[in-house]
Amino acid sequence: MQLDVDIRKVLRSGKRTFHLNVRFNASSQRIVIIGPSGAGKSLTLKAIAGLMTPDSGHIRLGGRTLLDVQAGINLAPQARHVAYLFQDYALFPHLNVRQNVGFGLAHGWFNPHERDRHATVDQWLDAFHLSVLAQQFPHQLSGGQRQRVALARALVSQPQALLLDEPFAALDPALRGQMRGELDALQRRLQVPMVLITHDPQDARVFGEQVVQLHDGAVHDAFEAEELSA
Amino acid sequence: MDAAWAALSLSLKVAGWATTINLILGVAVGYALARLRFPGRDLLDTLLTLPMVMPPTVLGYYLLVLMGRRSWIGAWLYDGFGINIIFTWQGAVIAASIVAFPLVFKPARAAFEAVDGQLEQAARVLGISELGIFFRVTLPLAWRGILAGVLLAFARALGEFGATLMVAGSIPGKTQTLSIAVYEAVQAGQDDVANTLVLITSAVCVVVLMAAGRLAPGRIANR
Amino acid sequence: MQSMVLKRLLTAVALVAATGLTFAGDLTVSAAASLTNAFKEIAQNYEAQYPGAKVALNFGASGALLQQMAKGAPVDVFASADQETMDLAEKQGLVAAGERRDFVRNSLVLIEPADSKPVITRLEDLGHPAIKRVAIGNPASVPVGRYTKHALEAAKLWSVVEAKAINTQNVRQSLDYVARGEVDAGFVYATDAALMKEKVRVALEVPLDIAISYPIATTAASSNGDEARRFVGFVLSPAGQSVLKKYGFRQP
Repeated sequence: MQLDVDIRKVLRSGKRTFHLNVRFNASSQRIVIIGPSGAGKSLTLKAIAGLMTPDSGHIRLGGRTLLDVQAGINLAPQARHVAYLFQDYALFPHLNVRQNVGFGLAHGWFNPHERDRHATVDQWLDAFHLSVLAQQFPHQLSGGQRQRVALARALVSQPQALLLDEPFAALDPALRGQMRGELDALQRRLQVPMVLITHDPQDARVFGEQVVQLHDGAVHDAFEAEELSA
Repeated sequence: MDAAWAALSLSLKVAGWATTINLILGVAVGYALARLRFPGRDLLDTLLTLPMVMPPTVLGYYLLVLMGRRSWIGAWLYDGFGINIIFTWQGAVIAASIVAFPLVFKPARAAFEAVDGQLEQAARVLGISELGIFFRVTLPLAWRGILAGVLLAFARALGEFGATLMVAGSIPGKTQTLSIAVYEAVQAGQDDVANTLVLITSAVCVVVLMAAGRLAPGRIANR
Repeated sequence: MQSMVLKRLLTAVALVAATGLTFAGDLTVSAAASLTNAFKEIAQNYEAQYPGAKVALNFGASGALLQQMAKGAPVDVFASADQETMDLAEKQGLVAAGERRDFVRNSLVLIEPADSKPVITRLEDLGHPAIKRVAIGNPASVPVGRYTKHALEAAKLWSVVEAKAINTQNVRQSLDYVARGEVDAGFVYATDAALMKEKVRVALEVPLDIAISYPIATTAASSNGDEARRFVGFVLSPAGQSVLKKYGFRQP
């Protein structure tokens, strides 16, 4: 899937300025953006999802123009049909597992009822081995379980791409390997295009068909993306 | 005794309307101040909080000047529609609303600010409309804080005296609320009437507080 | 430096002691609302004539003032707008027996807002549909309201007017409502109407078969009996009476 990113943004925090200047063109099903903390990976991913608006540039995904500042195009996050997995999962604390997973399927002003059954939701709960936990609430789940709920919730609406924000950073090392394997298998089975950001080279090794390196040296330095073919 | 029940039902009516108005306006304003960033936001917050610290008689005087028959608004209402706010229960509702407004919008703002913005972001990416996000994510997580404010606002509206006396006067059955009835009974030396009214008011307050205790939602952990 | 402070302190103590040697402390005077302007001036003159005397004034509807005294408020002199309230005070033992004196008379008038179209030429005009709201003191505690009710009942108009009545807490509140145009008419004393000649217009003097006579008395609980009696004497003297006359009050 084609991912064409060319964005610039200046961020100010007190006296410090951060210049984001990211340009790359990837055409793989599995893209990894790697870099140290503060490199701008999260910002880039958020820009793709529409959660952050760059000052200038464009973003094209799978042939669709999500953003083109000059042309005045800026699709709302609701309209981009991508899925975003937050680092700490952002599960809705007031809804149980079933309601969380089915959240994106209900489009009105009301949340799915706690005992609503929905075929698609059931399938995904099964696929992620979450059926037995369906009535539980996020605070009752372990880290790995929460990640699975977040993934299921993200995939249930059949997104065009799956964006993952450091998906394994919050897990302990033993669990990381297992979850990597699960995600790897899942992606291959579903064939959903994936963009994953991380600072861990192991993630790049497992998932990176194409790897984009982001660097941030001193705060005032502008930086550019480098492309490495796998 | 009829006068006492008339005063009670009037007080409940006025406080009920005032609290309903404040619930809608207070939540809207609290949300706007929590989520929107614009120059002068904090100044606006301060101005809207003023009724909470201003003496009620000062507020009553302002209302009289702003809405009395001689004022712009009052004259327009009277000449155009024959409506006079002064000496009506609607005037009492306006006085009570203004006085209790900060008690709703301030906790509402704090409650909205306490909701994790990332949850709203997650809902956006999942395709839910902004209004849907408000009703399905933001409000369910903020409503406990808002409710606390609403109950305080109801109690405040129920007890409103100074501004109400100036704006609505004291017309038995029409604008003589419980607080005003107590005041007049004491002034007239009618201690037994005053005692009855005070007992009724206290009982109502206790009921409101107990309802507040019940409404506090079941702890999610115990579900 | 310290000796200066000490000297000042000693002087202050001496002054306080000196005042204490003649007549003790402050006087608290509770007076009907209609006496506000006149009594403020009388108190000023009194303090000027007797240096060291201090008069604290408390105004309100006579009924409200009575309740304050009944509940223990430390009042030295009570001036009421009607005999009835003073009778109640006597009955409750709040005023010293034999101390009460009538000190002024007043009259009841019906007023309209100055800028409104004149509607009232006789009392019966209160029934006119153009008159929608009438400010009347609460008869339960305000003397002017009682006089009004008495006059209207005699004219067989009370039920008509009662339906349009806006009860006020004291006569000055009635005056204020008329001045603001919030009501179409109001009942106040002639002395009150005279204070706001530009804002209210006297439609007529209300015929009353009883005299509006204000009594004044020292209270039984006063800790300042001598001073209180001196003040009452001042109100009754030519000096006090001329001030009252200036404001439109009539001789007792």
